[in-house]
Amino acid sequence: MMATRRRPSRWSGGRRFALLTVAPATIILIVLSVFPLLYSLRLSFTDQQLLSLVPPRFVGLANYAQLLQDNLFWSSLGVAAAFALSVVTVQLGVGLALALALYRLPRYQQFIATLLLIPSILSSSVASFQWRSLFDYSSGPLNYFLGLLHLPLLSWTADPRLALPSLLLVDFWQWTPFVTLLLLAGLHALPASVFEAARVDGSSSWQILRYQTLPLLRRVIAITVILRLIGAFKVFDIIYVLTAGGPGSATESLAFYNYVQGFRYFSVGYSAAMSYVSVIIVIVLARVILRYMERPVGRPAADVPVAEAAV
Amino acid sequence: MQVGPISRRRFLSTSAKAGAALAMGGAVTTFLEACSATPNASSAAASASGTVAVEIDEGQNANPFQWFNPNMKAKFGATTNIIGLPFVGQYEKIVAEMVTRSSVYDVLVFPPQMLGDFVSNGFLAPLSELGNESDFNLTDVLPAYRDPNLRRNGKLYAAMYDGDILQIAYRTDIFSAAGISQPPQTWDDFLNIAKELHKPPTQYGNAFLAQRGFCYAWFMNIFAALGGKWFTADMKPAINTDQGVQALQMLVNLKQYAPPNILQIGYQELNEAYLNGSTAMVVQWDDLALKAEDPSQSKVVGKNAYAPCPVRNYMPYSRVMAVSAFSKNQQNAYKVIQYMDSADVSIKYVYDPKCGEDPFRQSHLDASKVKDHLGNPSMPAAQAQSYVGAIKTCLTTGYPELSIPGAPRYLDILDLFVNEALAGSLTPSQALTQAANEWDSITASLGQDNQVKAYSDWVNAFHAAGVTY
Repeated sequence: MMATRRRPSRWSGGRRFALLTVAPATIILIVLSVFPLLYSLRLSFTDQQLLSLVPPRFVGLANYAQLLQDNLFWSSLGVAAAFALSVVTVQLGVGLALALALYRLPRYQQFIATLLLIPSILSSSVASFQWRSLFDYSSGPLNYFLGLLHLPLLSWTADPRLALPSLLLVDFWQWTPFVTLLLLAGLHALPASVFEAARVDGSSSWQILRYQTLPLLRRVIAITVILRLIGAFKVFDIIYVLTAGGPGSATESLAFYNYVQGFRYFSVGYSAAMSYVSVIIVIVLARVILRYMERPVGRPAADVPVAEAAV
Repeated sequence: MQVGPISRRRFLSTSAKAGAALAMGGAVTTFLEACSATPNASSAAASASGTVAVEIDEGQNANPFQWFNPNMKAKFGATTNIIGLPFVGQYEKIVAEMVTRSSVYDVLVFPPQMLGDFVSNGFLAPLSELGNESDFNLTDVLPAYRDPNLRRNGKLYAAMYDGDILQIAYRTDIFSAAGISQPPQTWDDFLNIAKELHKPPTQYGNAFLAQRGFCYAWFMNIFAALGGKWFTADMKPAINTDQGVQALQMLVNLKQYAPPNILQIGYQELNEAYLNGSTAMVVQWDDLALKAEDPSQSKVVGKNAYAPCPVRNYMPYSRVMAVSAFSKNQQNAYKVIQYMDSADVSIKYVYDPKCGEDPFRQSHLDASKVKDHLGNPSMPAAQAQSYVGAIKTCLTTGYPELSIPGAPRYLDILDLFVNEALAGSLTPSQALTQAANEWDSITASLGQDNQVKAYSDWVNAFHAAGVTY
């Protein structure tokens, strides 16, 4: 007699256990992430105002069309782009230089790395309040030192030409150490044999950096760039504390303008549309960087300098 | 659709389950209602010990509630628990709480510019329904602060806590030394005096609040003097007019004779610029006088006089107290408001340099009453005379701050563009045109007809109070 094998139920054994284990996280994800995402998408197609007596209407893509004509949106996008570009360029350059310098100082590396962690473990708002004191026109230490040097005192956060650079300085102070540590960790993960071989082959320090270190470090650099790009694009705390978007709208970033629309004017439909545009911009930028990261590390032989090719 | 026997069974089974679920739902609802009733009951019981949660902008303005806590405890068994909110951002924080019908606040202290939004959205319980209007001795409240600030749709929603108005504080010693015998009578005068007395870096001609957040009020102060209005009767913005451009240009010109960090100057910084002796004259809220004559805060005690602003005096901010519609402790909240608003209590804090409250009752306007809450004189008699005299004149020429639905939003947009002009990013004309365009969008989003009616009611309330507008 042929034994009848019972077909395993969808809910039997390990499968049920697996589903039960995954369920809480899935439910939390749906409730806290998926639902708000879909809800805000729906909101972005309405003209909902939290404090209006006029009932909300479905307006299709009108909010998105309005964004295109909104001067404040474009200027805030410009501020966010300028901020993000400066942050990524400067912090990556300085962070890389510091990481390379630290890599050559194995003796003090741990101590310095610990010190470097301090700014990034502070909350951005706390750091901003400290910087507000530093920037103070009449009693701030920065102007005190300028005075000692007989230089003109600066209105750090009130001069339209200086306000954004001042915010960049705060972000630079807080996040460059973090970039340094990420790149330092990346440097430690590189295979030492490659560098030894390069040195044996007579490569100069610059050649090793240009043709070995940077290409091998590319993925870490890409991740660092994405992290800082996202952080810089959504910068809010330091603007809120230090300039409130001013003077005028000189430091009103996209995230800050979105906050103003959503939480000061309660134009939640418009604000939701703006959030989606921000998300799309960040996703596209991240995608471009990831594509660059996925490219193979090697280069065509024709590109290799003669000295290297000879090796 | 045909329903077979099995389907019927399923149908019956499903119906039974649904019925059970509904019954459970009903039970749950009843249970929830019972639960929600419990805090009511307990808060009623607690009202004997009664802690009333008072929302107010944090800092000096919360002090009077603290000072009078023991008296309130003794009088009606309630004390206050202050929930301080940041001055900038207070509106959004209150709204965010109230749209969820939260009962976290019992008493709300806020500027009347927010009253239109709060009443139209049902955030406030009318005081006239919680007690008697006569509890508030309204005839003693100065007309400009009375109905326009406290009443909507015929109901009393709020009681005064702080009556604000802008006035000039100037240094008599500097004016005398320069041979200037009287304070400025016109804005051109003001500019000329500021220019003459501007001797940087030791002495600046004038200072005003130019930081983002409230700089619109200093623009409105000049705009009002030039005969400007907020809107036309059909809610077209009236700020992008010749008077508007002229007023904003005047403010931009005054920047030349102000401290170099003028765009960083907010309320505290403006006080400091005057109190540290570096500025010859300022336009500031009237409570500056109390601080200027307080030796613990000022380097210029006894060297000051106070005057109305040229032609009109803008009345920015002020503070009123109201009971939250979602409070579970409304009766005690009402008692706290009544107590703090009363003439004999408010006279003890409106002249106190340790808080920022200013007179709002007829009975306050007596120079001999300029004393702190401990009963000590808070300024020399001559200065008290000048200060109270200036307030009396200011109030006859007071220019009202907008307080229709959406007012905080209209004001914030105006502030942004005034600040753009002060920062030099836009010309006064460009700034006001852009502000007017944004105002049109706000009006459209709130409903043109609703806004026309609200504006008309508001203007009529001022006319009825005898305020020229």
